[in-house]
Amino acid sequence: MDARLRRVNKEIADCKNDKTSNIKIELIDNSPFHLKGSFPGPEGTPYEGGHFEVDIVIPESYPFQPVKMKFITKVYHPNVSSASGAICLDILKDAWSPVLTLKSTLISLQSLLCSPEPNDPQDAEVAKHYTTSKSSFEDTAVYWTQIYAGGPGPKEKKGKSSSAKPDERDEVAIAGLEEAHVNQFASLGFPRSKVIDVLRRLNYRGANVAKITEDRVVEELLK
Amino acid sequence: MSSDYEFSDDDGDYFDDEEMIDGTQDSEAQSEDDMDMDAFGDDFKVTPKGKCKSYEIEYESLSQSAVERLMQKDVDHICGIFGVDSGIASLLLRHMKWNKERLIEKYMDNPTAMLVAAGVTMPEPVVTSTPTPIRTHSSHTTPTNTSRRPTRATSKLMALASGSKSKSPTSSPTSSFTTPKAVKTAKSEEVFVCPICFDDSPGLQTLALDCEHAFCSTCWTSYVGSKVRDEAEHCIRCMAEGCALACPDSFIRSILVPEPGAPITDAAQEEENAKTWARFQELLVRHFVGCNTSLKFCPYPSCTNTVSCPAAASKISLTTVVPTVSCGARGIGGQAMTQSQQGSQLGIGGKEHKFCFGCPIESDHRPVVCGAAKLWLKKCRDDSETANWIKSNTKECSQCQSTIEKNGGCNHMTCKKCKHEFCWVCMGPWSEHGTAWYSCNRYDEQTGVEARDAQSKSRASLERYLHYYNRWANHEQSAKLALDLYAKTEKKMEDMQITSALTWIEVQFMKKAVEEVDKCRMTLKWTYAMAYYLAKGNQKDLFEDNQRDLERAVEDLSELLESPIEAENIPTLRQKVTDKTVYVQKRNEIVLEDTANGFVEGRWRWNVTVDGFDDPTEVAI
Ligand SMILES: [Zn+2]
Ligand SMILES: [Zn+2]
Ligand SMILES: [Zn+2]
Ligand SMILES: [Zn+2]
Ligand SMILES: [Zn+2]
Ligand SMILES: [Zn+2]
Repeated sequence: MDARLRRVNKEIADCKNDKTSNIKIELIDNSPFHLKGSFPGPEGTPYEGGHFEVDIVIPESYPFQPVKMKFITKVYHPNVSSASGAICLDILKDAWSPVLTLKSTLISLQSLLCSPEPNDPQDAEVAKHYTTSKSSFEDTAVYWTQIYAGGPGPKEKKGKSSSAKPDERDEVAIAGLEEAHVNQFASLGFPRSKVIDVLRRLNYRGANVAKITEDRVVEELLK
Repeated sequence: MSSDYEFSDDDGDYFDDEEMIDGTQDSEAQSEDDMDMDAFGDDFKVTPKGKCKSYEIEYESLSQSAVERLMQKDVDHICGIFGVDSGIASLLLRHMKWNKERLIEKYMDNPTAMLVAAGVTMPEPVVTSTPTPIRTHSSHTTPTNTSRRPTRATSKLMALASGSKSKSPTSSPTSSFTTPKAVKTAKSEEVFVCPICFDDSPGLQTLALDCEHAFCSTCWTSYVGSKVRDEAEHCIRCMAEGCALACPDSFIRSILVPEPGAPITDAAQEEENAKTWARFQELLVRHFVGCNTSLKFCPYPSCTNTVSCPAAASKISLTTVVPTVSCGARGIGGQAMTQSQQGSQLGIGGKEHKFCFGCPIESDHRPVVCGAAKLWLKKCRDDSETANWIKSNTKECSQCQSTIEKNGGCNHMTCKKCKHEFCWVCMGPWSEHGTAWYSCNRYDEQTGVEARDAQSKSRASLERYLHYYNRWANHEQSAKLALDLYAKTEKKMEDMQITSALTWIEVQFMKKAVEEVDKCRMTLKWTYAMAYYLAKGNQKDLFEDNQRDLERAVEDLSELLESPIEAENIPTLRQKVTDKTVYVQKRNEIVLEDTANGFVEGRWRWNVTVDGFDDPTEVAI
């Protein structure tokens, strides 16, 4: 039998039999080479309580070439593209070893959620948010976990008014911005979506707010 | 080694003896070609042989094995200085991009760090001991004891590890690096399970580097194969997670190349492995060549030759010379062709592997320097939409508007319907092309000068570009059409050889002429790129005079080549074609030589900023 197929089948079976682990691997269709992995967000992180799904493609020369993985669930994390779910992780590239398995790789993704690497970012905007204001970043990550990964939402914290139904998506919170800032520029007559877009790009958060002049924001809005 | 790199003369034996013995097929092709040229006698001699012309550059063609010998020289040098075996020396050199001086410096500074970084030894868990003095001479050391330094480091490591791991007691520390160790073969007490394929068959053959990370040999083979074929990687690390030990060449060889006399178990797999091994060796050569600015790998598909051209190694040299080189091979795949094959595949199939040493252009772009050639190609890419119509093979007769198709390389067109004779390129009447005042090659700058408003200015600038592009594209196309036509003519001449009393040599004159036309059209093509960027003035006028003379000569010869061939007119045609070929060759020499001299003298002025040149002082377009 094909060595790749034998190995993948064994990996899937081993994962199923391992009752202690919280990593799951399922078939998407009939092919054992296109799979879906999932794991719970690690405790004590903004991703806690969320359920994260990962698209897995086994290449022709697996396990001698790395498995291809990307997040299906939207994740707010410096090393994950907020748009495509692409992941920046060394073991998925040059640091791959044929000894690694689907399960061990998914565990590495889980621990990547615990320890972001903002110096090697996949999503530059998210990484900037992380480095300028960690608490604001965490608020956004918690919000994303809530609306995209079924997380519990923010713990009662300084009366934040996002206690609304979780499916009513707050675009301002998704972008990790302050309602007041968006309102300030929207009141000048700019469309709300454009204001959100520009402020997100300028990283108008935390200590940065003081550094970016209103004129600069308006200038960007007028482009 | 001789420094004579004539292209068509009979003095082409620039392969030294060593190379001949080495048996590269290319050198055989070269000598066969020489014999062929000898048969022509002195018909085509233009300049005395043995001198490097001003538009030529000195270079040397190297086969893959010749480059491997250069690599071995560096490896031997390092072996001698460091007292390591050649596998280690090779890994060290590759890690330092073949910069010997830097390697020696860094190794002297901290040998352990160097060995770890290059993947020769594992990082030591404890702080390293004081460095021992390094021998700088090794005249009496033999390969068996040269690996003393690094093994000292490893054996310590292995001593640390030996307590926990099962280690083959027979594997002596001195044999490490050079021979892969069968870590364990059918040790009955414990069952080995390959951590990658989960195979647990008894007697499974396993292999490991000095780190003792054992895997089954099938997995090693697949891994090395994938690294080499899918990633074109020459530095192959151990498969264990986080282990940075690199496989020495001997280890890879042992995986891919069966022992001599070993029984064939899986013929398909062995063939695959042989290919991987060949590719791996090519990758090593490519890496070495890529690290050396005076070497360049032949860009032709599946050719593995290299050209050495120290004279064009620096960027600044590219403002005074166009380093056109040839790897020495012909045809596709670097396969040498026999005489008969060459005759019938004058086109793409049997062409010399000519390329530019200074830029990525995979052909001869003389006389224009790399910087301007690059600008021109970019311009052509950017304006391809507007210029596309020129590529079409049909045009309308300017007199009766009937459609005329071009099917040969000659630009002298005669309308079948109204017999109007005109020039394919400028659509002007052909009768005027012979007169002194008519110049098909020169752009009438007046149109541009007279343009006043922005719109007519931009139209004038487009027209100016199209003037040059038109001629540029036409020469390329005409050369191609001429080769097609030649294929037909050749068939006819072969037939005549049978039906008439003509000898083989008597019907060969066309071949040389077509080759010359092809070569000169390439020169002409690039002269238009050059002229487009040349600043107005005397120098440009002189350049365009030479260009015009060559162009006329080439068009005349093209026309001759299209004249009908009958057995009885062959002797006269042969004389005419031969004379014209010699003249064309002379004109081509003049264009190439004068342009090349101009670059050396700094005579040419551009109307744009060309990489490596001073900015144009007065912009005159
Ligand atoms: Zn295996
Ligand atoms: Zn290892
Ligand atoms: Zn070549
Ligand atoms: Zn060039
Ligand atoms: Zn006509
Ligand atoms: Zn013309």
